[in-house]
Amino acid sequence: MFGKMRKVYGGFFRAGAQGAMAYRLNFMGFFIGESLYCFVMYFMWKAVFMASGESTFMGFTLVDMTMYVFLSNIVGFFTGTDSTRALAEEIRDGNIIMRMIKPVNVDLSLLANEVGNNVVYFAFIFAPVMLGVEIYRYCALGYVAFDIVSFLIFILSMILSYILSFYLNLIFGYLAFWLMNIWGFDILKGSIIKFFSGAMIPLAFFPGIVRDIFELLPFASMVYKPTMIYMGKISGVNILVALGEQIIWILVFYGIAKLLWHFAQKRLAVQGG
Amino acid sequence: MSSNNMIEVKNVSKEFKKIIKEPGLKGSVKSLFHKKQEIVKAVDDISFTVEKGEILGFIGPNGAGKSTAIKMLTGILTPTSGDIMINGQVPYKNRKKYVKEIGVVFGQRTQLWWDLPLTETFTVLKEIYQIEDAAFKNRMDFLNQVLELEPFIKSPVRTLSLGQRMRADIAASMIHNPKVLFLDEPTIGLDVVVKDNIRKAITEINQNEKTTIILTTHDISDIELLCKRIVMIDKGKKVYDGALDKMKEKYGKMREIHINLKSIEDMNKLAFTEKFNLLEDDLEVKLEGKKATIKFNSSKAQVSDMLSYILATITVKDIAVSEADIEEIIRRLYKG
Repeated sequence: MFGKMRKVYGGFFRAGAQGAMAYRLNFMGFFIGESLYCFVMYFMWKAVFMASGESTFMGFTLVDMTMYVFLSNIVGFFTGTDSTRALAEEIRDGNIIMRMIKPVNVDLSLLANEVGNNVVYFAFIFAPVMLGVEIYRYCALGYVAFDIVSFLIFILSMILSYILSFYLNLIFGYLAFWLMNIWGFDILKGSIIKFFSGAMIPLAFFPGIVRDIFELLPFASMVYKPTMIYMGKISGVNILVALGEQIIWILVFYGIAKLLWHFAQKRLAVQGG
Repeated sequence: MSSNNMIEVKNVSKEFKKIIKEPGLKGSVKSLFHKKQEIVKAVDDISFTVEKGEILGFIGPNGAGKSTAIKMLTGILTPTSGDIMINGQVPYKNRKKYVKEIGVVFGQRTQLWWDLPLTETFTVLKEIYQIEDAAFKNRMDFLNQVLELEPFIKSPVRTLSLGQRMRADIAASMIHNPKVLFLDEPTIGLDVVVKDNIRKAITEINQNEKTTIILTTHDISDIELLCKRIVMIDKGKKVYDGALDKMKEKYGKMREIHINLKSIEDMNKLAFTEKFNLLEDDLEVKLEGKKATIKFNSSKAQVSDMLSYILATITVKDIAVSEADIEEIIRRLYKG
């Protein structure tokens, strides 16, 4: 059954990858923009550290912080998804029916499409950025701190984070069935994720109880936890807990998305006659 | 289900809730707080059957409920009430299984991958429908020959002309050898030559494969050239179901007389309404320069009587009689 699925959705995967290749240049622009953002964040945190006059801040050294900025960004980039916008647009212009006349699941075909897209980007930027991060760490610490086990767990956690983020975004996309235009909600969702996922500020910087609550929310699983796993700040049994949480949130969002789709189909009034 | 019927539609209705907005900005603000809803019956108690291998013309004016009906037949929408059975399956019950054996073209949309060369779309479809290599090759050869895809098969879809894209879309809907084909406006926006090619292809596919086809169109020549039978709906209700010829017979009593006048004033001498006792609906006179077209109901006034009356009353340079086309018939039917 899995083999058959791979075959059916393989087409969507390849189409996504080829589509990404067709717009390489567009992607380069985006990449440069993201890199600039990382450097701005780096200099900002550097200023914070220098002003505080202490070498560690909430358990983070400047080296940690620099790594966090670049890692959380690349995690955010690869686990981020365009599924809200892609789906909402298809619902709004009615093109979702072109998916429905094929013997495929709407969510899985979108997922395969996007994974194809991401794999191309991954090949282009993941290795160079990770290499850069490691070289920086080596220069700063004077020894190689790379750990292959943490790295592999990090990759696994990132994949889980992507699936989680995909279904959360899909839920927002389905809202278009009721609201038609979800632009406002999409912005709101973006801000919430940016803040609560730790993409802007490490959740470790928040005071006690607030941090505990933030870490329990699904958003923490999206950027903060994979990043902390790579940095070795989550270790031992806590890694299993973090992965377990990710899986639970995937199941929750997957369930909600399926339920919404079930109701949405009854509501489907295709735009444009 | 009788063995010969590919499609059976029984008492199918589809209702939508529609939010009524009062006009203007004030109405928009008001509708934010207080929504008025109205139930619209897009399809109202429609029944019909289609035999295996038949091409059925499914026609009606804009907003008649054609698209809604097609979307129910293709498993996208669920009827509010009634039953649909196609190829032994209920379309909306198990959509993924059902759509494996149907093909759909929505003329205003495309199922091709916009950024990929056309040939890649077919490779993707091959995987989606799990088509064997040999069967796929045969199929591609056939579609290539009928729809002449070869010249642009390597081009990215976004660079194709509308006519090329439509041929490719029809090919894409047929790649898995569907038993039923739904063509929703397959000739929309195309020029005459391309339309002709597409009609030929549809006929060939229907004859070679015994594919059952439902065709909706605004182009009446599509219907005249492709369909022996039509179902017409208006305001969600079925208003006609039968042979195209019969419909012409029933409603097509309109004839046109074209006259080249010597002088325009002559037209004033002709009083058809009084002479033949015609109602408003039975007669239409158009005048363009010295060319007059008189459209009339030939069951109320004989063609020969009309001709002799005209010739006896005025002098004409030239006179000709023609049969009103189906477009006219449909227009009259909609009015009635």
